[in-house]
Amino acid sequence: MSRTLVNSLGSIKREVVNFSRSQKFYFVVAVMAIVAVLPLFASDYVVTGVLTPMIIFAIYASSWNLLASSGQGSLGHAAFLGIGGFASALLAVKSGIPPIIGLFLGSLLSAAIGLLIGLTCVRLKAWFLAMVTFGFSVIIVTIFREFDDFTGAVMGFRTPLIIERGVPFFYVSFAFAAISIFLMYLIMKSKLGLAFRAIHQNEVEAKMIGINTGKYRLIAFVISTFFAGLAGGLYAQSIQYIQNFIFDPYYSFLPLMMAVIGGLGTIEGPIIGSVIIVAIDRYLPGIDPALQGLLHPLFPSVSNAGPPLRMLGLGLFLIVVVVFAPKGVAPLIKKAYNYLRSSPQEKET
Amino acid sequence: MINTSELIQALLWGVANGCIYILLATGLNIIFGVMKLVNFAHGQLLMIGAYIAFAATTALGLNAYIAILVAMGAVAVIGVGLERFTFRKVLGTDKLNEIFVSLGLIYVFENAAVLLWGNSVQQISSPFQGFQLSLGQVSISYDLLLAISIVIVILIALFLLLKKTKIGLAMRATSQKSNASMLMGVNIEKVYIFTFALGAALAGAAGALYGIIFNFSPTLGALPTIKAFAIIIIGGLGSIPGAVVGGLLYGIAENTAVYFLGATWQDAIAFALLIIVLAIRPTGIFGEKGE
Repeated sequence: MSRTLVNSLGSIKREVVNFSRSQKFYFVVAVMAIVAVLPLFASDYVVTGVLTPMIIFAIYASSWNLLASSGQGSLGHAAFLGIGGFASALLAVKSGIPPIIGLFLGSLLSAAIGLLIGLTCVRLKAWFLAMVTFGFSVIIVTIFREFDDFTGAVMGFRTPLIIERGVPFFYVSFAFAAISIFLMYLIMKSKLGLAFRAIHQNEVEAKMIGINTGKYRLIAFVISTFFAGLAGGLYAQSIQYIQNFIFDPYYSFLPLMMAVIGGLGTIEGPIIGSVIIVAIDRYLPGIDPALQGLLHPLFPSVSNAGPPLRMLGLGLFLIVVVVFAPKGVAPLIKKAYNYLRSSPQEKET
Repeated sequence: MINTSELIQALLWGVANGCIYILLATGLNIIFGVMKLVNFAHGQLLMIGAYIAFAATTALGLNAYIAILVAMGAVAVIGVGLERFTFRKVLGTDKLNEIFVSLGLIYVFENAAVLLWGNSVQQISSPFQGFQLSLGQVSISYDLLLAISIVIVILIALFLLLKKTKIGLAMRATSQKSNASMLMGVNIEKVYIFTFALGAALAGAAGALYGIIFNFSPTLGALPTIKAFAIIIIGGLGSIPGAVVGGLLYGIAENTAVYFLGATWQDAIAFALLIIVLAIRPTGIFGEKGE
């Protein structure tokens, strides 16, 4: 175990050096600079309601993506989002621990429970794993409901804040996201990530070349649930409230949608997916009233056809991406970018 | 104090429940056995089947038990479409893609049902509503008895189809070795389409029966899928007799558990059992080694 750790730490160090010298580095710095100045031009609603969720869900989707890169598609990641959120909020409320430390402790608890669930999951085939993780999220919501006296999960409660809402909290979550996603990038690029991808491609062959598949799948599970817990803690902070709804299957399917639509197994995919899905979620309801007159005669049995129509569209979008663009939207954007920056002669060839 | 007649009543409901789960699990199992494909949206086909039967009884004024045939046919057609346009495209690629496609289908079906029929709870009205056959202290509704006998008829027909017909032979051959059966002249594509349509039709029949016995809403599909999975895990992947035994066991166990423990823990208990079984035996209780 310690040798693998030293090995992967060595390769991570190499990656940091490589990364800082690569062209990508400047691109990332430029994007981060743009994101950092965005709040100066955006309204308060946009900062708290759009940009901050995009950033937090980028962490969440990246954590799911890391697990999926080892071939394990979880359908119950909301369990860890919720555990992280509840643990950090409860610690701050009940024992007066500063919320920022609660955030870390909550992530650690999420990772510890992830370890337990992972022990069951690492031996399972893809579809059984999907079922077990989904089932775990149903069990955990039942437990939280039954122990409502302690958790306060049925009615929900206000979470103590790390820092003032709005722009300050935006920068805090931005810092967390930058560090977490960079760490996940390093992990995916290191030998660990290589092992994950090998297991994803063919578990039997990975085993044959000497990869301890069970151990690596478990490591992926623990890392992923840690960051999912972190995202949960931040999410509870961002809406300043936590309640049982955080365990909804909707929140389990969200990171899957984001990662798959953005680009599965890539580092930029979940981020792009998070931006797309949150933007759809926040801005498309705005056209509902305008469409009301058109939609109501078509679908007389529902009072507002907008939300189900949007969900249906999201499902179709997911299927279309998986069938026609299995690598997600990210490569398409990259292609467009390369096309734009290439010289006219290159374009002709 | 345990009341014997109430317990027998609970067991009867368990058998009826189990029958519906058997149809669903058998469909899922046939599709898995032949195509090595897991359709997580199978429960949504059940939900759509219930709504189609409902529409057939209300809009066309059909008898509820004839509407079962309509539901089977319509859901089979939907199944052919699913196979052709979604699952066929991802078959043989990454296993995760099947899960992603199923998830997309869950969203599509549930919201399509909301758009077409609204969010409210419905039930199919049967001509035998309210008729009870009483045997001493225990009584059983005609609908329940009819549902159980219909499931038995369907299972016998399925058995004959698989054992006595040419397409059944082709399906069994494909499930054993798809490449070898292709070399023997089996048209695999046709077998796949037929298999998916058959599995979907079974889900449609299950849905219509469910709609006659219970009430339903667009979000009905998720839990039956999971229960069908639990049954398959108990009975073994790809085994139809296993699904029958598993379905009966599960239905009875679930109803007696609700009888003794109360309904709040029902879903969590189903999952806890599933996880415990999988933790002990990752391939299922009667599952073959290696698959």
